Amino acid sequence: MTIDDFIEKFAFAIEVEADTLTLDIRFKELPSWDSLNTLAVIAMADADYGVTVTGRDIEASTTVADIWAIVSSKCAAAK
Amino acid sequence: MNAVRGVALRAVTAATPTCVARTADYAYLEPEERQRFQKATGIAERRIVAAGQCASDLCLAAARAALAHLDWDPASVGALILITQTGDQPVPATSIVLQDKLGLPSTCMAFDINLGCSSYPYGLAVAGSVMRTLGIARGLLLIGDVSSRVCAEHDKSAWPLFGDAGSATALELDESAPPIHLDLCSDGAGKEAIIIPGGGLASRLPPVDGRIAHATGGDGVQRRADNLVLRGADIFSFAISRVPGSIQRAIASSGREAQDFDFLLLHQANRMINDTIARKLGFAPDRVPTSIEHYGNTSSASIPVTLCANAALFDVPRWVVASGFGVGLSWGSATFQLPAAAVLPCIDTDDVY
Repeated sequence: MTIDDFIEKFAFAIEVEADTLTLDIRFKELPSWDSLNTLAVIAMADADYGVTVTGRDIEASTTVADIWAIVSSKCAAAK
Repeated sequence: MNAVRGVALRAVTAATPTCVARTADYAYLEPEERQRFQKATGIAERRIVAAGQCASDLCLAAARAALAHLDWDPASVGALILITQTGDQPVPATSIVLQDKLGLPSTCMAFDINLGCSSYPYGLAVAGSVMRTLGIARGLLLIGDVSSRVCAEHDKSAWPLFGDAGSATALELDESAPPIHLDLCSDGAGKEAIIIPGGGLASRLPPVDGRIAHATGGDGVQRRADNLVLRGADIFSFAISRVPGSIQRAIASSGREAQDFDFLLLHQANRMINDTIARKLGFAPDRVPTSIEHYGNTSSASIPVTLCANAALFDVPRWVVASGFGVGLSWGSATFQLPAAAVLPCIDTDDVY
């Protein structure tokens, strides 16, 4: 479970190129971002990391790093 | 949880209005957004009532079809339970009005239950238990909603999701019927995920004051206090994380394995939710019938609507595990057998009774 893997999975989930995404990107400001992307990120966290990210988690997040922090801490808590 | 024993499902019917609302025509989304919405949710079109048609009208049409199919004398029905969140009026319970309209005897018990997406497993539990315990030979479980009447048309987080439908499930005491195994859950801490905040007494607003103000929600959408608010991402997260366990518990208590069930019937909220749940449980898509493409999220009626939209699959006896989940939060699962040819195709009706 690496940050690079996570960025790749996040990019795939929201249908953008992985090389356009960095940890400090404010993902909700991407032109293609919409509420359906929220569902895709929740589905990705569930399928690829086995953790439950909530709508409120994503609402409270700004950057890709924020989501990574949520996913990695939930992964750690699950162990 | 004990199983409900000695109660057979005899007929399942569903009724929808004829008016079709297509995602491709929804004015409050851009054309490209409509395509993305349809791809993600699976919803191409829904049925919407005309002003004046109620959930009770749809349920009544479904109930009449079930009675006619079974050739049941209305006088033989001893219980009528309606599950809806869009009743005819706050008081009295709509089920009692339906007892009269259906010509059921005054010795028939009738009451409403306020539940949404979890209605089917809850309804089988309550109707089956009451019939069994009190020795009521025949009962009708009516389930339906007209969600289009409580959503703001410009609310793109809710309006393009919901379709209107009513359903009837005819139940009969039968010692030889296989048991109905259940798992029923609640979590009121999630009440904000789907809520109509106004109109009840907790809102401290008069239920009807004739000048309901529009308020802007945290998502920027203008809604009346009696409009439905749906936080889709929270429901999504809840459904994929907590529903699979409920289905597994119902299957485990039945003493059967997942592969012993012909079909998994899921509440039709969103294609991505159902694909995820089915994948977690090991059900291939051909064992998970859907109705969301043509009927949208039919709320409480979604499981019977999905059965009826796929009636041809049920020409022979089938073992089914069904799960409903959503508003409350409330969720539950049931395993049961459907006898051959008990599921009738969907009925189109604009009749108002």
